[in-house]
Amino acid sequence: MITQKLNDQITRIGPNAPAGAVHRHYWQPAALTDELQGDDPMLPVNLLGERLVLVRDASGALVLKTRQASADEAPTHHPAREDIRLVEGGATYPVVEKNGICFAYMGPGEPPAFPNFDCFRAPDSHVFAFKGLWECNWLQALEIGIDPGHASFLHRFLQDEDPEDSYGKQFRDKAANLDMPMTQVLREYPRPDIEVDETPFGLKITALRHMENDLTHVRVTNQIFPSAICIPMSREMIITQWHVPVDDENCYWYTMFTSFDKPVNKELMREQRLKEHRLPDYAPLKNKTNDYHFDPEEQKSLTYTGMGLDINVHDQWAVESMGNIQDRTREHLGRGDAAIVRYRLLLRKAIKAVETGKLDRLPMQDRQQTPQIVGPLSNDAIADSDDWLAASVNADMERRRAAPWDATV
Amino acid sequence: MSQQPSLATPTSEWVKIATVDVLKAPRPVAPVTFQGQKLVLFRDEEGELGLIGRYCPHRGADLCFGRHENNGIRCPFHGWHFDRSGQCTEQPAEPEDSTMYKAIKLPSFTVVEHRGDILAWAGEGTPPALAD
Repeated sequence: MITQKLNDQITRIGPNAPAGAVHRHYWQPAALTDELQGDDPMLPVNLLGERLVLVRDASGALVLKTRQASADEAPTHHPAREDIRLVEGGATYPVVEKNGICFAYMGPGEPPAFPNFDCFRAPDSHVFAFKGLWECNWLQALEIGIDPGHASFLHRFLQDEDPEDSYGKQFRDKAANLDMPMTQVLREYPRPDIEVDETPFGLKITALRHMENDLTHVRVTNQIFPSAICIPMSREMIITQWHVPVDDENCYWYTMFTSFDKPVNKELMREQRLKEHRLPDYAPLKNKTNDYHFDPEEQKSLTYTGMGLDINVHDQWAVESMGNIQDRTREHLGRGDAAIVRYRLLLRKAIKAVETGKLDRLPMQDRQQTPQIVGPLSNDAIADSDDWLAASVNADMERRRAAPWDATV
Repeated sequence: MSQQPSLATPTSEWVKIATVDVLKAPRPVAPVTFQGQKLVLFRDEEGELGLIGRYCPHRGADLCFGRHENNGIRCPFHGWHFDRSGQCTEQPAEPEDSTMYKAIKLPSFTVVEHRGDILAWAGEGTPPALAD
């Protein structure tokens, strides 16, 4: 349990809010390249409590400019091109396009460098980007992503799908070198030991599931400061996902799916996801207004939630059901929430650093060192229990050595 | 039962919160607001009614979408399980030796079935007798 004052401090993201000031020191996903139409785009962007539009400036570079908006505009309002009016003398923010996502820097001073993460390093052919709206505060959206235990429950499948039909979906592959679907590993070993280590980019989170015959399933995921995670999706792909505040009570997830093997089948992955979302605001078709298509029969026999096979919907329900901003004065964190506790400490340290002007204490702000940050290691492996750390690293190295692009670390 | 309770004192009378029909579905679980609190009403496998806090005390997920099993309600997020008194009985994602669940209890209210209605009582001690 935390105080209301602390909950406000770590969740609210307006320009004058402490966590908002931290976010403004980092590049933020603002739009998908897919959303840009033609040579002269004019795309409404609602980001960090500001009402903006993505345009090209006189030199042809993408920039975000402030647009006029009424106070009662919906959080994801998307005015038609002819209704957009720029604010004279309003803020202009720089934008950089990277493998399908337009990143904006809305903070003071020079923008930081980009780390050399796999999602930025891989060629465009090996990265697919998509986004979706969640109607809740960004922090609860992030916290589900640094909570390795929930997958054994929220995403439990009471029957296993054939992993051969799993392309582009989370948790449907076989687990590492074992002939067991990931869904079965998660179901049968629901009490992972969780280790959390601080890294130059945020946190490395290791979930250890101790299995029969002295084997351990090792799942390594990461928190990338301030609002992203990097997690394995299958043996072929990893997911790098930001939880970007629209305002205090809404956020977008932006995901870069990065392949270490074949080029990504973008048409298939886009089609899988467009079927579940409406345009132009990328709001999910299953949502709180229709109870996420909850089916009690399905909950009894097939899925833990009764909300279909798409694990994104399970996560969306979990985080939206907590309310617009989770009331953390009533929470009871356990040992399974170790990474959440560590992350909040990182965020509070960063808030303090910004407040006291000690910006060198923020992760990934050093312009020389940040481009040297590679990886992160993000994978599933099964190993002899006394050798799990080496096995996890070796499984990642093997995949990196075989990659058709330079994935060396 | 139709008179307005005084706002100054908590209700010490039985209050109708639903009709028994809301629990007729194969999954007898329904959201209810009572005494200004959001609650979940359910019938357990012993046929008894429970009226307990709606939001999981772990991280606040909505128990109205909980799994109706093991004589109570189980949160789909991490499997925390609650009986009709609101007591947490299992935390299956926590380490085997954890006893944290013993200290976790949701608010709960006394609830009865009466002439096709479901009545709740928020007072202390022994509830008033119900008219036949």
